[in-house]
Amino acid sequence: LWYPERQKVEVLMPSPRFPIPQGTLDMLLLQILSLEPAHGYGIAQRLEQISKSVVQVNQGSLYPALHRLEQRGWLKADWKESETGREAKFYSLTRSGQKQLRVEKDSWARLTGAVRLIFDEGAAQ
Amino acid sequence: MRRILNWFRLGRLDGDLDRELRYHIERRVTDLIHSGLPEPEARRHVALELGSETQLREEVRDIWLNRWLRDFLHDLRHSARSIVRSPSLTAAAVLTLALGIGATTALYSLIDQVVLRVLPVDHPERLVLFNWNGEQLAETFGSDHLMSYPICRDLQQQTQFFDGVFCRAATTVNFSTGREPRLTAAELVSGTYFSVLGVSPALGRLLMIDDDQVPGSSPVVVLSYDFWQNQFGGAQDIVGRKVLVNQHPMTVVGVAAPTFHGIDVGEVPSVWIPAVMSAQAIPGFETMLDRRTRWMQILGRLKQNVSLAEAKTGLQPWFKAMLDEDTRRTDFSRFSGEQRRQFLASTLDLSAAPEGHSALRRNLSQPLWVLFVATAVLLALACLNVAGLFLARGSARDREISTRLALGASRGRIGRQLLTDSLLLAFAGGLLGVVLAPIAVRALIEFLPVDSAANNLYAHVDTRLLLFAFLVSLLTGFLAGSAPALQADRKSLDSALRERGGTPSGGLALRRAIVTAQIAFTLILVIAAGLFVRTLSGLLVKGPGFDTSSLISFGIKPALNGYSGAEESRLIRRITEGLRDSSNIQTSAIAHDQLLLGGAWANSLTIQAGERYTTDREVQMNAVSPGFFATLGTRIVSGRDFNEHDALDVAPVNQPLPVSKSGQRAVIVNQAFVKRYFAGRNPLGASVAMGSAPDATPDSEIVGVVENISYRNVREQWEQAFFPLGTEMSGSNFYVRFRGTPESAFRSIRTILRNADPTVPISYFRTLDEQIDRSLNTERMLAALSSSFGTLALLLSVVGLYGVMSFVVTQRTREIGIRLALGATRLSTIWLVLRDALMMITGGTAIALPCVWALGRLVESQLYDVKPTDPVTILAATLVLGLTALGAALIPARRASAVNPTEALRFE
Repeated sequence: LWYPERQKVEVLMPSPRFPIPQGTLDMLLLQILSLEPAHGYGIAQRLEQISKSVVQVNQGSLYPALHRLEQRGWLKADWKESETGREAKFYSLTRSGQKQLRVEKDSWARLTGAVRLIFDEGAAQ
Repeated sequence: MRRILNWFRLGRLDGDLDRELRYHIERRVTDLIHSGLPEPEARRHVALELGSETQLREEVRDIWLNRWLRDFLHDLRHSARSIVRSPSLTAAAVLTLALGIGATTALYSLIDQVVLRVLPVDHPERLVLFNWNGEQLAETFGSDHLMSYPICRDLQQQTQFFDGVFCRAATTVNFSTGREPRLTAAELVSGTYFSVLGVSPALGRLLMIDDDQVPGSSPVVVLSYDFWQNQFGGAQDIVGRKVLVNQHPMTVVGVAAPTFHGIDVGEVPSVWIPAVMSAQAIPGFETMLDRRTRWMQILGRLKQNVSLAEAKTGLQPWFKAMLDEDTRRTDFSRFSGEQRRQFLASTLDLSAAPEGHSALRRNLSQPLWVLFVATAVLLALACLNVAGLFLARGSARDREISTRLALGASRGRIGRQLLTDSLLLAFAGGLLGVVLAPIAVRALIEFLPVDSAANNLYAHVDTRLLLFAFLVSLLTGFLAGSAPALQADRKSLDSALRERGGTPSGGLALRRAIVTAQIAFTLILVIAAGLFVRTLSGLLVKGPGFDTSSLISFGIKPALNGYSGAEESRLIRRITEGLRDSSNIQTSAIAHDQLLLGGAWANSLTIQAGERYTTDREVQMNAVSPGFFATLGTRIVSGRDFNEHDALDVAPVNQPLPVSKSGQRAVIVNQAFVKRYFAGRNPLGASVAMGSAPDATPDSEIVGVVENISYRNVREQWEQAFFPLGTEMSGSNFYVRFRGTPESAFRSIRTILRNADPTVPISYFRTLDEQIDRSLNTERMLAALSSSFGTLALLLSVVGLYGVMSFVVTQRTREIGIRLALGATRLSTIWLVLRDALMMITGGTAIALPCVWALGRLVESQLYDVKPTDPVTILAATLVLGLTALGAALIPARRASAVNPTEALRFE
């Protein structure tokens, strides 16, 4: 497909950005929602702000991820009035979602710790 | 689970997702416009950011339902639609499967109840049954696994292996609550029975060790829950009530738990009586504490950490010591050295008995398994038929499937669609089968050679049965659907699309293979039917050796009314006189033991005919009144019948005959006895003694020889010896030959009995024809069911063959037309088609015959006078099947010969 506006779009989307590592999106969503309930668009914006536009989240993969987490019972959703006055679907963490977040944080910490250890080993030599 | 729920609210989920995305897009667009982008561009940008909305939707839907489930539910809907579109095909398939599944489920229900079901007690898997392997040198009362009561008490001391040991024996008592007494099934049990089984009371208490200490001292009974409900209306004040057991007063102490029906599925007791009350429960039985009387089954509960093998090995030293001790007892002197040697060589066997003990199970499990195999074959046939139907439809749907393939559907996906079709049909068939199964089970129970009142068999559908039917349906669906699915998988796409409309090649080889397999299965069933029908007709033709028409037999149990021997003789004399005086009674006679009941009084005999020798196996015995053979219509071949002078004081059955007080004792033997033990010599004048002990005195002279008659059952031809009924060995089984109709004879006999004694319990009352029917119940069941299975199978395979042959003819119309145009005769075109059918029939026969040979072992013991490989039966069955199948093939063959060459060629 060829878009004549391609240049302008690229101005609005500063690059380069990291594609988000596989499997970490769920963890990030849980983390964001652990602070306060939010709707899909709000989450997208917050992801953008928090990651300082370093991490690229494909907005197309956001909704499948949210629904997957809801299906697993980690998130629950309610239709509530949003800040613009329209009804939006607000996601919030369930008890098992909180537990899952702790598990994921823990394993992430262990993983990064291990990776750092390996890097440090390399640096020491 | 949640995903299946999602299926039902898919619409709402879709709406929600739509709103959610809408919201996102609107907000993003608004924000972009705020940052200075014109609206159309903002929208385009958002579309780019989100990617394809359709793909997004699909992705989310996959999360709700996951791919596999979505496809499956979609297939299901598609299948349901296509099934509704072709109702006749659906009805044929569902009915075929329902028959197969229903029959299999019904047989399984019976096998489950008779053979497989474990007792509803604590940890049934730790229950074991004891068996004495070898010679017990004991009088026998009952059928199998019998031992004496004292051995049970010995085993109760073996606490290092068992948590507990109990013994039991089934009997019938005359039970009365003050009103009319009735014969009631009872179980005589040791005091440990309930505690070892772990049964709890529904009311009051159950029997305890204290109830089983001193003979005659514990007149207490426990009622079964059903008996309490039916006979006492569930009266709450039942505990403490006085009842009469054979006219002995006893007290009801409790009611057993509702789920507990004893340990024998074929003989459900209504009351439990302590074994120490056996003299009261079985009049004339005084040998409970005798080690030379075996009459009870002994079961035990293994300790938690003891295995069956450990217990078995561990018990042998005690067992050997007990045998040794037994031989030193005084009553052992009457046995010969050989008998002692055999006795000492005995071992004690243990087998797992989670299902309890049942003679019914032993007798029926083999016939039931045979029938189960037959229904499984029938079900396989039904599967093949449905597979054939699907293939036929599949070829009609060829173009649809090819088109779908061309449009990018995967082959697996198409195959799955076809599989879903057959699964859906199989479940519909299974559902119908489950509805039909209880009717079939009820009919099957009617066939069983057990008293329907006394068994614990029901025609109900429980969860086990539903699970079985579900699994069978699943398997059936897969089997029936796999052939068409495989076919779809193999199809070459472009050849299918290039094919001319109307002449698809649709899996002809596969359909031929299916019909060949059907022929094979059918032949197996038809041969089985032939064998069982020949067995039954052989037994019916053989008969019991006497004329059963115009014969009635009935039994009374005066002893259960508490009558003394003298009172009993007076009563029997009154009845005999009544029968003699009645105008529509020709003759009557009395026997000690009932004929054709499955059991016999048996013992070995010592014969003195010049030299002294003993019989090499037990002789079947009976004691009969003078005129017994004349009443049955059995000829006395040589010698004479008994007369009034032969009736001496003869000892009771369970004792060896004592030395004669006066005169000569008489005995009549049958021809089989003469053949085995006299080998051409004249038996008259030789004498015999009961038993084979060295001190047995042969003092009974053989005064007559009679023709062979059936004693235990029609099948058996055994050596028999008859003794004269005496004042002490009384009998109460009457055999009556009547004039006129059985109904009027029944009426006269009832009047005679009422006049003689209105209270005497009647244990049975039926014509000899009916008695024979009962004794041949198993054979009748096998013959009837195997014939109907054979017929059904024949029908199914003929339909299958017909379908394939008509298909072949349609497909080859052009070829046949060309052949005819080139000068082939009509006859040769018929042969062209028949040859095809003949190939399948021959192939099927070639597969079936080795199977028949292999399966023969399973049915051999159920047959009479015919071998499983009987050439006549096999030939006849093959001919029946072959001719029927050829007949079915002839219809399309004739159509082929009627093809008009010009039309067939213009058809293109």
